[in-house]
Amino acid sequence: MKQKNSMTRQKRKLWIVINYLSIILILSIFYTGKYYDWPVFVIVCEAASFILLIFSFIKVFIKTQLWKMSHASENNLDERQLQLMLKSIKYSYSAFTIIVLVIVYGFAIAEQGPIDVVIAACLLYFAHTLPAAIVGWKEKII
Amino acid sequence: MKSRKLYNRIAVLRKEKNITRKELAEIIGVNFQTIGYIEREEYNPSLDLAFKISEYFGLPIELIFSTKPLKPLIEEIIELKNKIGEQ
Repeated sequence: MKQKNSMTRQKRKLWIVINYLSIILILSIFYTGKYYDWPVFVIVCEAASFILLIFSFIKVFIKTQLWKMSHASENNLDERQLQLMLKSIKYSYSAFTIIVLVIVYGFAIAEQGPIDVVIAACLLYFAHTLPAAIVGWKEKII
Repeated sequence: MKSRKLYNRIAVLRKEKNITRKELAEIIGVNFQTIGYIEREEYNPSLDLAFKISEYFGLPIELIFSTKPLKPLIEEIIELKNKIGEQ
């Protein structure tokens, strides 16, 4: 019987890449819009990339149950799932710390002041999805 | 530390009992994919889970799990019988 959350690892990896590329796209378009004072075309592109982000999020995190698994309480996971989550949280902690440091240092060096709210929102999204993305990336079957 | 590969007979025993992975998973309280991982020998269960499985099948743990590749169960039972007979 085909499982509801079945998606090949290759497809999962592709959608994870699309999801994180859409964040980069949102940020790039945001700064382009800020620089050119938000022409209509840029607003449309920003909206399109936001839709892509939501669509890929549903496809890779919600439909595959990755989001549910990464946000479930310890009591609702079995020992293998718990082990998976602990490993992925360990990796995502290191990755997230490095990325945040690079961004904060980048802003400090460029004398841009504090980070924008859009970057903060993207980092928050990144922090919440990274453990699930690592499980989705590494595991054959979820 | 990298753990040793654990061989097991769960797939055979499960088929003999005529139950699905999902049913076995529900009985012992794990996700059904975990049963698949254990059967494919891609995941070593904890001692507690191994005991739960052996209790369910009503067999000693060493008849279900081994660090060496397992022989067919019938051969193992004949060997065991012979050993008992010799004693």
